[in-house]
This record gives sequence, structure tokens and C-alpha cells, in this order.
Amino acid sequence: MLQNRDWRWLLRWESLLAVILVAVIAANIQMSSHYLGTDNFVNLFQLSIEKIIMALIMTFIIINGEIDLSVASVMGLSACLFGRLYDQDIPAEMAVVIALVVGTVCGTFNGFWIAYAGLPSLAVTLASSIMFRGVARILLEDRSVGLFPQWFNNLGQPDLIGPLSFGIILFVVLFGICLIVLQLTAFGRYVYIIGNNKGAARYSGIKVRQTKLTLFILSGLVASLCGLLLAARLGTVRANAAEEFELDIITMVLLGGVSIFGGTGTLVGVGLSILVVLNLRNGMSLAHYSGNIQTSVVGALLIASVLLPNLMRDTRRLRQWRDFRFRPRETDLEEEEGTWQAVG
Amino acid sequence: MNQLSPVLEIRGVSKRFDATQALDHVSLTLYPGQVHALLGENGAGKSTLIKIMTGIHQPDQGAILLNGRSIQVTNSSQAQLHGIAAIYQEPMIFPDLNVAENIFISHRGRGAVVNWRKMYHDASDILGKLGVHLEVRSQARGLTLAAQQTVEIAKALSLKTRVLIMDEPTASLSVHEVTQLFNLVRTLRNQGVAILFISHRLEEIFEIADHITILRDGKLISSKPVSEVTTETAIRDMVGRDMESFFVKDESRRDDLILSVQGLARSGVFSGITFDIHHGEVLGFAGLVGSGRTDVALALFGISPADEGKIIYDGQPVTIHSPAQATHLGIAYVPEDRREYGLVMPMSIAANITLPMLRRYLTRLGIVKRRAEETTAEEYRQRFSIRASNVRLVTSKLSGGNQQKVVLSKWLNTKPRLLILDEPTRGIDVSAKAEVHHIINELAKEGLGILLISSDLPEVLAMSDRVLVMREGRQMGIFTRQEATQETVMTAAMGQKITVGGI
Repeated sequence: MLQNRDWRWLLRWESLLAVILVAVIAANIQMSSHYLGTDNFVNLFQLSIEKIIMALIMTFIIINGEIDLSVASVMGLSACLFGRLYDQDIPAEMAVVIALVVGTVCGTFNGFWIAYAGLPSLAVTLASSIMFRGVARILLEDRSVGLFPQWFNNLGQPDLIGPLSFGIILFVVLFGICLIVLQLTAFGRYVYIIGNNKGAARYSGIKVRQTKLTLFILSGLVASLCGLLLAARLGTVRANAAEEFELDIITMVLLGGVSIFGGTGTLVGVGLSILVVLNLRNGMSLAHYSGNIQTSVVGALLIASVLLPNLMRDTRRLRQWRDFRFRPRETDLEEEEGTWQAVG
Repeated sequence: MNQLSPVLEIRGVSKRFDATQALDHVSLTLYPGQVHALLGENGAGKSTLIKIMTGIHQPDQGAILLNGRSIQVTNSSQAQLHGIAAIYQEPMIFPDLNVAENIFISHRGRGAVVNWRKMYHDASDILGKLGVHLEVRSQARGLTLAAQQTVEIAKALSLKTRVLIMDEPTASLSVHEVTQLFNLVRTLRNQGVAILFISHRLEEIFEIADHITILRDGKLISSKPVSEVTTETAIRDMVGRDMESFFVKDESRRDDLILSVQGLARSGVFSGITFDIHHGEVLGFAGLVGSGRTDVALALFGISPADEGKIIYDGQPVTIHSPAQATHLGIAYVPEDRREYGLVMPMSIAANITLPMLRRYLTRLGIVKRRAEETTAEEYRQRFSIRASNVRLVTSKLSGGNQQKVVLSKWLNTKPRLLILDEPTRGIDVSAKAEVHHIINELAKEGLGILLISSDLPEVLAMSDRVLVMREGRQMGIFTRQEATQETVMTAAMGQKITVGGI
């Protein structure tokens, strides 16, 4: 699965992640007898299920050269909207649909400013995240709403299908779809190309704006879905639901080897980084480390993930630059095979 | 002829990088008041030689003599002390500083406080010596590329430069600016500066140089006074084989029109553009940089659509509002800036070639058919002899000429009937240039209409059936091949007021 600008580096990065994952799992097995159990594994995914689903979409957005900081607020808004509507005796089914529609509108709102007005996504989604969170607070103020219907709560619980929850099934299916779309289809390739060189994409007749808008609409829709999953899992919603989730989501994507500048990274890397983060947190909880320590470790891992590839790239660039300045004949340059074509 | 003693001598310099001999016993002698041209294809060793002269790299063998004494140049500030300076195609200026500050940027040891009045005075003094009028207090950011180069030259002068290396200084300049630069070069020469001048444009070399040295594969091939060199011998020495002196397009124009443009305008950019292109015809677009040629092309390609006028394509009036639609109509545009608009550098040759037509390479489920893609790319690789071991190679690894062939392949794969080429040979070496000319000729024979934008006047004249000349957004006239000469085209391009003196 090698749709990347430099697969040698990627291969190393992804294998590095795989090695880290094996090490974390081995350490966890050593440390706790509770680790190897279906319940623990389901639990491990369940605790972060909304984040890891969202990370799949975020991967597309960051590879496309953008970022969506508003996902957590959209999750919160959709959860609160659902709670408020349900609280006012609107049927839960209807409330779910309305929340999804509003989430999609939020995504469209972001996408419009970014794709058609050309504003930077960092600024747009930062502002809209504050706005959406504000609306969520207006909706619920400091109340918390719960006592949802059983069918709704079941969506958030394990043992819905076998030992698995709806969210876990959704994640697995979405992961498969995203993997195929991003790595094998024309749309996926356009996402990479726009992230790499917007100008060349535009001159090649690729619909840059539609692509960006599509991604942000999708982001809004999936975020509102995740907000509902969160409400169902917790059985109750408050105005601060999903607050600061965006940081964990972006962490997982970047740790997976996706460049914050766009154009590089694969979903395989993101999948591996999700597993690393989840298992690391799980192992540390089993060893009774506090949440703060867990967060610090994940943060350190992120810094390493941004630093390490950059260091590797810089040394390589330095070497290339030297070669470039003194290169004897361009055709004699190392013939590095590229990207795209290898199917993983 | 040279009674003067040489100012700088390179004696038997060799340099090796890993497996490659970049320079092999190269000698070069620079005299004060002489313009010495250094010629060679990309990779011939010119850059390595410059880097050795400016102290960026050390020779493995050989010596550098300044005024007859052997010197060591281990870094660029040392080169500066020896009076050796270099200016490059892209001026290295500080955009937020003003002209005077840029000129004196390298001066040190003047105390803690800047004597502004003296600095401005000295700066205008230097510029005056060069015969240039530039406001010394203006910010460098707002200057044209040519003016920025002038600042660099002034900077070199302020450092008492005796040897000035100019590495492709004209590559990004318009014809008019080149004329001005050459006046500057002559002024410097008359002041006794030794100039090493590097350019890919032979006609410029013949205009400005006193002596021509040609490198090939790191070896010195010839070094003669300009009077003993002709275009033919220069090209032969550079590429190592004989080539047609200048390729001239075959007659392939047919009677049927592919495109007819009437009164095309885009407010504030260009207006009153009217021309026809036949099948098999090359219509040259000449004019100075910034005369609006590219804007007309962008209008035809739907990037920035025209807001007035008629476009009749293939007998049908059309409005073109997006590149996708233009591509669908059979119009292809090969942009001037390959890096910015042509290629996705980190991607493979194959992925680049199929980019605008990716939908042709999809399975019913929308999955990209990589084998089909590579088969197509492989055809183009062979057809245009793109120098790459295979089509999975990333395009950033290719030379400029080969990258250009990939861009051409990419657009030919859309099966266009009208091909717009914007500066297709800029920044590529002589043999790649000739290959591109051959390709244009072949395509015209196949019946494509070609719109060729080029600032390389001999190229436009040799390749075009007719030449349209633009100036400041207006169409100055269309010349047939018989009417189009350097004089007529340049007169039109520069307007009536300016008299033409050998370009």
C-alpha cells in the first residue's frame, strides 16, 4: 500500500510503527493477565471509538493539505442537539436524522469557506469549532440529558453483534472502504495530488474545490454520527461532550506518518498508529498509570513522530541537495522507484 | 590580442563525486576586461567549476591562480576577499531591505552604527557608474527580476570585484531586459572586470562574449576567441555530434480551421485578440514577458476565461470555462512553469502522464488500472525517449528536458487537437530542445494545431508558420513566415517608439 512520495521512507516508518506495536503488545502481555481477553480488546476500542472513526476521515483531509479542528465541536453539537430534541419529546429517530443533517450542514459551512472562498482551513475550522461549541452550550447550558431509548443506548454498547459494538463494526467497515478509496481509486489519487500540488491539479482539470468540499461535508456527517455514538455510549450528554477530541484524532493521523503539510501518508500507517495509541493507553491503564501520564506519553510519541521523519527527510534532502549541486548528469541520479503503483 | 596578464587562472582542475568525474583537468583563463562564455549541456561541469571558483567546493587536483599567485578558496567570503563574486539566475536579495541595504549587505567592520547618508550616497554612486537609475531607498521586493539583478551586480561592484561569474543571468529576463543587462555587462567589461558568462542561449553568447569555452562531460572540449566559433561548431562541441544548425518546421498546414478567435478580451489583461489556427499549423506567439501571451492561452484553456469575444472551435462557437471542459474539447495546455503547474513531482511518470485522463484508466468500480496506466506511459517513454529506467520513477528525479517530455506526454495523452505550448524549451539544454522541436514538427504533421508561446525569438521564427506579436495586452500584428524576421517581430513587440538595434 504505497501511495506515497517516498516509499522507502514510508516503508521504514510503517515498519517502525509495526515494531512499536509489537513491543507495546508484548509489554502489555507481560504486565497484565487481563490484557489478553476479548472483553479488554473490545473495551480498548470502545473507549476511543468515536476518535478512531473520525481519524479515518481526518486522514483524507490532512493528506489533502487541510485540517479540520472543528470535528470535536461538531460531535458535541450533534450530541447536544440530539439530547435537546429528545428532551423536548421529539422521537429519537427523528432527532438522530436532524443531528446528522445539522452535522452535514456544519461540514458544508466549513467546506464552503475553505474550498470556495479560499480561506485557510486552520482559521476557518478553529473559528467554527468555537461557534459550534457555543451553539451546543446554548442548547444544553449546564444541564445533562439522558434516559435515551434502549435501542439508541444499545448502539453504543458492546455485545450488539457478538462481542462487538456497532461502532467497532462501523470502524472496521469504514476502514476497509477508506483504504480502497484512498489508495486505489481516482478520488484517492486526486486527494493526494491536490495535497501535493494544487496548481498542477487545477491545470489538469481536477475539480479541486469539489474535492475539498466533499471531504469537509463528509467530515461533518461522520463527526455528527460519532457525536451520536458518544451519546449512546455514555447514555447521557452534556455541553462539553467530546471536548478536545480533535487533538487525539489529529495525533493519531500524524503519528501514522501523514505529513501535516499534506500529500503524504497512508491509511495503513494511520491504522497502525491507532493500534499503537490504543494499546499503549490500555496497557498503561492496566498498570494503573493515570490518564495524565498516558496523555503525556502519547504526546511525546507524537513529537517523536513529527521529529523523526523530519530528521530523516532533512538528512536525505541535505544529501540530495549536495548531489544536486554537483550532479554530473541528471540521468545518472539514483533511480528511485516511485510511489503510486505498488499494490500492498 | 591579450597583452594584459590574466586575472584568474584555473589550471588542470579535477573534481570527483563518488563514481562521477565532474571535472577532468579543466583549465580556464580569465583576462580583465573580457567576457568569457562558458558553454555546456546540463551536467557538463559548469556548475562544479563555478562552485570551485567561489569556494563552495575544493578541487581534488589543480590550482587556482589570482594575478599569477596560487590561492586557496575555501569559502565564499574568502572568494569575496579575492574579488570573485557570482550572480545567479534567481537573484539572492533580501526582499524586505531596500536597494542600498542590499548592495552593502556583505560589508562588515563599519562600526555599530550605520551611516545611512553615506550608504545611500555610495549606493547611488555605484548605480550611477553602472548607468542605472534605481531609487536606493525603494524596497527590493517591488523590483523586477532584472532590477534585482542590477542590485546584485552593484553589490558585486561595491566589493571591488575583479572576477564576476554570471550563471544564466538572462534565463528569466525579457528581451528588453536582456538588452539592458548586456549594456551593464559591457560597462563592467570596460571598467576592467573579468566576466565569466553562462547561458543556454547561443545567440546571446555570440552577442556578448569575447571568448568561448565549451565543456562536455567534465572535460574541456574547446576554448577559442568568439571569432573562431560558429553556432554549428559550438553545438557540435557541446553535444558531441553534428546537429542541424537550427531546426526548421516542415510545411504541414492544412486548409481546415481548428480554432478561430475573434476580438477576445479579458478586462485589464488583454483585448482585441483575433487569429485563426489551421490543422497542422504552428502559430507562434511572440512578445515581451508580460505582454499577455500566457493570459490569452489561459483564457483558451479555461483557467481564467475571457469576458469578451468569440471562440470558434472546430466550427462551433464555444465558451470555455474550465480546464476540464477545455481538455474535453481537445485543447491541451503545457504550462511554462513545470514545477508549479505541470507536474506532481513526488509522483511517478506514469501517474503524471495519466493525470488529466485518469477516468480512462478506471475499472467499473473506480479502481485505477495501474497496468494499463503503465502501458500508456511506457509508450510515451519510448516514443519521446524519456531518459528513465522505467515509468514508475518519480518525476523529480528527471532532468528538466525529460520532465518537459513527461508534461508533453501527459497532454498528448488527452488526444488534443489544439496544443498550446508555453515556453516549452525554457531551461532545458540544447539537445533536449532540439528533441522538443522535432516533437512539435511531428505533431503538426499529424494535423494538430499548435499555439507556440516562446520568448526565444529564433525558436519562434524557425518553428512557426505564422507569428502573432503581442505588446501590453494588444495584438500588434500577425506575420507570415516570409514577413517574420527578428527585426519585424521585435519592432512590433517593442512598439514604435523604441528603435531596434540588433535586439
